[in-house]
Amino acid sequence: MAAAVSNGWQFYLTLLLVYLGVDIIACLGLNIQLGLAGVMDFAFIIFQAVGAYVYAIFTLGPASSGLGQGAGGESYLWGTSWPFPLPFVMAALAGVVLAFFCAAVVLPRLRGDYEAMAFLVISLIASGIATNQVGLVNGANGLYGIPQPLSSVLNLPAVQYDWFYVGLTAMICVLVWLLTRRITTSPMGRLLRAVRENEPAARALGKDATKARMFAFLVGGGLGGLSGAVLVAFITAWAPSSWGYAETFVYITAIVIGGFGNDLGVLVGVLLVPILFGELVRFLPAYGRSTWIEAAQLMAYALLTLLFLWFRPQGLVPERRQRYPAGGEIPLDPGGVPLARRLRPRLGSAGRLR
Amino acid sequence: MTLFIQYVGFGIVTAAILSIAAVGFTLQYAVTNVLNLAYGAIMTVGALTAYAVNRSGASIWVALVAAAASSAVISVGLSRAVFEPFRRRGLRLFGMVIVTIALDLLITNGLLIAAGPNPFSYNAQSGRTYHVLHMIFTSQQLTVIGIALLAMLIVRAILQWTKLGRAMRATAADENLARACGINTQLVRDAAWLLSGTLCGVAGVVLGLSVVGWTVSTDDSLLITVVAAAVVGGIGQPYGAIFGALVLGVATAIVGGYFSSSWTDITAFVILVIFLVFRPTGLFSGVVRRRDVAT
Repeated sequence: MAAAVSNGWQFYLTLLLVYLGVDIIACLGLNIQLGLAGVMDFAFIIFQAVGAYVYAIFTLGPASSGLGQGAGGESYLWGTSWPFPLPFVMAALAGVVLAFFCAAVVLPRLRGDYEAMAFLVISLIASGIATNQVGLVNGANGLYGIPQPLSSVLNLPAVQYDWFYVGLTAMICVLVWLLTRRITTSPMGRLLRAVRENEPAARALGKDATKARMFAFLVGGGLGGLSGAVLVAFITAWAPSSWGYAETFVYITAIVIGGFGNDLGVLVGVLLVPILFGELVRFLPAYGRSTWIEAAQLMAYALLTLLFLWFRPQGLVPERRQRYPAGGEIPLDPGGVPLARRLRPRLGSAGRLR
Repeated sequence: MTLFIQYVGFGIVTAAILSIAAVGFTLQYAVTNVLNLAYGAIMTVGALTAYAVNRSGASIWVALVAAAASSAVISVGLSRAVFEPFRRRGLRLFGMVIVTIALDLLITNGLLIAAGPNPFSYNAQSGRTYHVLHMIFTSQQLTVIGIALLAMLIVRAILQWTKLGRAMRATAADENLARACGINTQLVRDAAWLLSGTLCGVAGVVLGLSVVGWTVSTDDSLLITVVAAAVVGGIGQPYGAIFGALVLGVATAIVGGYFSSSWTDITAFVILVIFLVFRPTGLFSGVVRRRDVAT
């Protein structure tokens, strides 16, 4: 009896840790787009979605292999079964490719409100197509019974396998963290901050702002795809209801609360928002309607975002103002000016717009 | 061919509803420069108010007025309590979009908890049917079209012939210049929120009338189609928004008729993205060109 309870707790704990890892990977990716480059990606969740689907079709095997023995059977366009690390790589690549198409359409032409609106609508279109085009990825029912990596090789009991997977997730998180730090502290990171703060100024210095934004967007998309694969390989099912546009908002809340453009802040935000806050709600007594909890959760996120934007727009861990050693090359770009500073009013006739 | 004409008929009814909402949206966006994604939530507030009034025994006309009033109050209230303070704090466009989405999630989910997920319907007769050039309309649908036309005439009259309307157009064109000319732009912005809220409430009720059953999320799912109509017509152009509503209404009705009703929203979304990317100023270029949203 005691063992059963503790197994239940271990299952819950491992699930929580994997969620934490997935949200860290995703938020670091979104932060490169949103915090570092200032691209208003309200469609971020579709990169996670495509990563999850691609992981699924690269592990589920051919579409006609008779996998449809489950309830109703799954139909999907194409499938194969590749060995362990490759489906994760393909998922990340799929995120990059989808990000490229989205970016090619939106980034060169749109800014501000219209950029945000275009991404929001792209998110809705993707969700609509995945739901209605049943042959693509099994419509609203989604894909399920997705194989877990190395589970047949290791042949571990369920709880031990879950802990193995937590370790795998942690390793991927460390790799992603190193990659992210490498980008944010590199000259490219400085350029991205410059583009975010003042695009015309960066252009005037001869920097290719569109290319820089595109780069950040593709990296973010790839990390989104990877996070989807890590998530779906553990929970083994994926459907359009898992990636509504509001899910992007949860990640944005995490970044707003943690701190725009600060990798450490993102970690704090993830710990607070989807994990601590999101999971605490699960412990509330589930009285009343079943939709109640999800609705209350979204309301709480929305309220938190509004409160933070009002009282502490720079987040809990503000982006640090970067200093460069005197005597060296004088940095001409205004890299590292906190976004919070940008949130203050500027006087002048164009103050409302620029 | 007959079928096609029937679909166009459905499209015209949809367009009537859309145009009421889109004119409000485009006016408010042009004057206040806030892309208000909580517009659908304000619509839901109106629709639910009308439902409460209607179910307590009042006629649908009384309910319509109640909806318009409650949405107008909510609209001005949100502007005064949230958007204006954030604006004065200097929150940039980016933050403002997040603020409106947050408000939308807050209000819609709050209403979902309060009102529940079950569908509602108004207590009103759909009346006898009329045949106009193979198009079939119920008298209720004709009333909806009539309300839309009336609303358009009133908006036109306000914009064209009143001092407030001129002040609104001036503020939309260049707020700083308008203020330099002695226009009280704060008052004009309030008026824009009030007018758009009123239209929004009316749209919420007529939308509820035109479907079999509506839920708390129905109005929210119409929002992007409303935005699409406003963008197609050119932001800040009320007549453009009416034309955009016609384009969107008829296009979605035809796709819904020939393919499946589950593709109607996606049709609207795709039209919106195409316009955002290839012609962000819309068919009748409005104020967008002067704003930093598209190159």
